[in-house]
Amino acid sequence: MTNQTDTAVRESRFSLEAASNYAVILAFVAVVIFFTFAAPGFMTGENIFNLISNKVVLLAIVALGMTIVIGAGGIDLSVGVSIDLSSMIFIMMIAAGYMGAFAVMGGLGAAFCVGLLNAFLINKLKINPFLATLGVLFIGKSIQQLSTQGGVPIYLTRAEYAAPFDAIARTSLLGIPTPIIVLIVCIIGVYLALHRSVFGRYVAALGAQADVARYSGIRVPFNMSVVFISCAVLSGVTGILLSSTVRSYVPLAGDAFLLDAIGATFIGTAISAERRPSVLGTLIGVALLAVMRNGLLLIGWNFFWQQVGIGVLVFLVLGLSFGLRKRAE
Amino acid sequence: MTAVEHVPATKSGWFNSKVFAKLAIRLGAFAAFAGIMIYFALTARGFTSTYNMINVVEQSAILGFLAFAMTVVFIGTGTDVQKGGIDLSIAANAGLCAAVYAVMMREGYGNFVAIPAAIGTGMVIGFFNGLAVVTLKIMPLLGTLAVMNIAAGLELTLTENTVVPVQSDLMNVLAFGRFLGISTLAWCLIIGSVLLVWAVHYSKIGLRLYAVGGHIEAARAAGINTGRYVYGAYIFSGFMAGVASILIVSRLSSSTPGTGLMLLPILAAALLGTVFSRRFIPTIGGTLLAALFIGFLANGFQLLGISSYWVSGVQGALILLVVTVTSFAKKH
Repeated sequence: MTNQTDTAVRESRFSLEAASNYAVILAFVAVVIFFTFAAPGFMTGENIFNLISNKVVLLAIVALGMTIVIGAGGIDLSVGVSIDLSSMIFIMMIAAGYMGAFAVMGGLGAAFCVGLLNAFLINKLKINPFLATLGVLFIGKSIQQLSTQGGVPIYLTRAEYAAPFDAIARTSLLGIPTPIIVLIVCIIGVYLALHRSVFGRYVAALGAQADVARYSGIRVPFNMSVVFISCAVLSGVTGILLSSTVRSYVPLAGDAFLLDAIGATFIGTAISAERRPSVLGTLIGVALLAVMRNGLLLIGWNFFWQQVGIGVLVFLVLGLSFGLRKRAE
Repeated sequence: MTAVEHVPATKSGWFNSKVFAKLAIRLGAFAAFAGIMIYFALTARGFTSTYNMINVVEQSAILGFLAFAMTVVFIGTGTDVQKGGIDLSIAANAGLCAAVYAVMMREGYGNFVAIPAAIGTGMVIGFFNGLAVVTLKIMPLLGTLAVMNIAAGLELTLTENTVVPVQSDLMNVLAFGRFLGISTLAWCLIIGSVLLVWAVHYSKIGLRLYAVGGHIEAARAAGINTGRYVYGAYIFSGFMAGVASILIVSRLSSSTPGTGLMLLPILAAALLGTVFSRRFIPTIGGTLLAALFIGFLANGFQLLGISSYWVSGVQGALILLVVTVTSFAKKH
């Protein structure tokens, strides 16, 4: 157990471990190369641009929130609720004639409340994050059904409503569409918070050893609250971008993001030697999932086969990454 | 346990004693169940009729079977939901098995081929869960999530997201048959519960399964092949998904998209079940009570004319309540 033998062991397993760290990046490069040749429409500027502005932005923002939560050793199953309630309040306020800015604040406020509820359940009632957010997921479903007569979507496609939606989804700054700018701001913000701040160190400590973090005097309840509320608000941002793009609120639409966000974050953990979530890793995970979906669609697989394909890919990538690493130990 | 409860007052008085708190919570769970039943019996017309009672038991059969599977996975892999085991693929797996069965029946294979094929499909999916969790050492939450996606996608490709109707004598027997005044589906639940209570609580395998889930290193040190038991729990879960799929098809006379949505009630039943056990651990009896409880709750709401949109919220609130109370009880 001395340092020397430790180093020796580490050197002997170097190649396997290195391979396992690069599994995701190699998979991503391989997938991109494959689709470049297999699907003629894939590597075109237009397709990549649409892919990023329609698919990547929405998922990436949720996944960034999930990265913070998983980094702190928790999980948030209620991101769908944050997305949906934010989208619902936003659309309802617009329909009621409020100004766009107020509607955005209303939507984000709803998401904030979801995060606050999660934080209350986790900190005060000491429920573990999985179960707490699972309960909130159930309750959020009921709230949406009750306020939409069982799930009737709200469409605001008439021209009189167009102004606030266009201001969000159809404007651009320096040639970059607003949603992409929102994503860039989120990426920089979460990167600074997680990797360049004291808060980020606390999150890492909570994720690695919650008890040790507590005994070291880290304010666990406060930091956990910040973690869950940030995740909910980021999901709320996605909700507003989503409903601005489609000009409608479809109940329970946010559920579709949950699995992809969790998947992307965990795929992303494979690039770090300690298997910790990171902003870069999560973005690679999001890109991998988005490219897979888009590529499979372009080579003519229908939605059902895409789901199988992505499941198999995630399974293989995780298996490679976790399996090789555990064997190296 | 019962002996301890009669220990006379200690210094702090027996109202404050830990044992009393635990007992109160356990009795509280049963009392809550009984209280809600009595409330429905008094207010909801027709709730207590034999027809309605059997109807609820029938409806709970499918949920019960799938929740049993989740319970066995919980038992064999520990109840820490994030690091311990979980099988998120159960509901999607049942949907896939139902699709396999329905499509094979449509293509003209008989029950003798289609039923083993459905159950076999379930077990293969269960094997992949085991492969992910035991061999590849992927976190259970994540590995079974990927398998869930695969199973759900395969179901959709098989049925193309449509209803596949099934007609056969066996389905009629399962759906409409009666024996001693109790319908076949209810019998399935009764017999399945008895068999599982024996296997999990009164057999060597069950005892070892609890050992593996309780403290895996200790179980390994005691000479138990822990990997085999975890594999076994996941494959059994797949087997149960296959069996439940036959019941699903018989009840609906078809394979219908959307079986995957049952995941949440399954989790709710398996988690609620722990509150009915003495040490707040997953048990077959507890899960059975919880599945019936969820069934009666939905049924009572329906009879009282309360919108079904409340059901999921009430289930969520119940989970939170139960978990709060049990974690409180465990601490004291």
